[in-house]
Amino acid sequence: MKYLYLVFAMMAAVYTSAHNHTMHDMDSHNHEGHLHDTMVDGKLLEVDPKRFDDFVAELEGKQVAVVSVSGMVCDFCARGIEKTFSKDKSVLKLDVDLSGGKVLIAFDKDRIIDFEDIKKKILSNGQNATDLQIIKI
Amino acid sequence: MLQSNEMQNSTYYHYSPTYKYSVGIESVNSQYFKEDYLYYRITYLVNRKNTKNSQRNLYLQSGISSAGLDHNFYGVHGDWETRRLFSGFGYKVTHTQTLDYAEQFLQLGVAPYIGEYGDMHTWLMVKSRHNELIGGWNTYPVLKFFKGNALVEFGYSDTSNWDIHLMYRF
Repeated sequence: MKYLYLVFAMMAAVYTSAHNHTMHDMDSHNHEGHLHDTMVDGKLLEVDPKRFDDFVAELEGKQVAVVSVSGMVCDFCARGIEKTFSKDKSVLKLDVDLSGGKVLIAFDKDRIIDFEDIKKKILSNGQNATDLQIIKI
Repeated sequence: MLQSNEMQNSTYYHYSPTYKYSVGIESVNSQYFKEDYLYYRITYLVNRKNTKNSQRNLYLQSGISSAGLDHNFYGVHGDWETRRLFSGFGYKVTHTQTLDYAEQFLQLGVAPYIGEYGDMHTWLMVKSRHNELIGGWNTYPVLKFFKGNALVEFGYSDTSNWDIHLMYRF
């Protein structure tokens, strides 16, 4: 009987998976004129379009650090990144994009963004920051 | 961290000064030895390999019991995971005043969907455990869920009953 409960739970999880994929397919998104199309240092900004646009929606006049992070494969493990940056009063807003392997960090426009400091903070959680792109909003 | 299986029920509080190691105290209610004791534990990350889509870890762990220095354990465990796949293993040797024994486990998992940060994440897993005191390999399904700072993992087999693991990160 207890096996049946487990099998039922597994079937429910698989159904949730299928449902999520369907919802994703239905999500049509217009890329025209959005900031995620920006080139930074000759490289296209590699972020999830909708996620990035939502993130910067109320950040007019600010700047966003888009940090590429390796080893960020688990939500539970990435929690420490949010916790670490939340202690930094210069951080206005933060988002973790697990699928893209990015951390988006919003700062005031005058703040000097120190990649070495960001690397240290990411490493303190056990992941590695590998690249930084700074976008003026 | 709470853990319950056919061998013991335990509560483990640990603190990680850095991501390299953690120290903690585990309160154990041994079902097998019918006694209660504490373990003073340390876990050390020997090696971690981060890539864009994966992480691999190798840990050493050790503990000394409040019942005496001759009651202790040491072991190694590791894992490799992507957002879709998980594999893990562990090997642990325990010395007590009356018995010495070893335990091993292998665990494989797949995520049926890829959740975003903040979503509830689900893993469907198979775990195979061997304990010298019980004998034989015991293989059973495990479900693992986590959301935010909470994680719950539970498996069930006819021979060992429930194998439950709860964790909360403060």
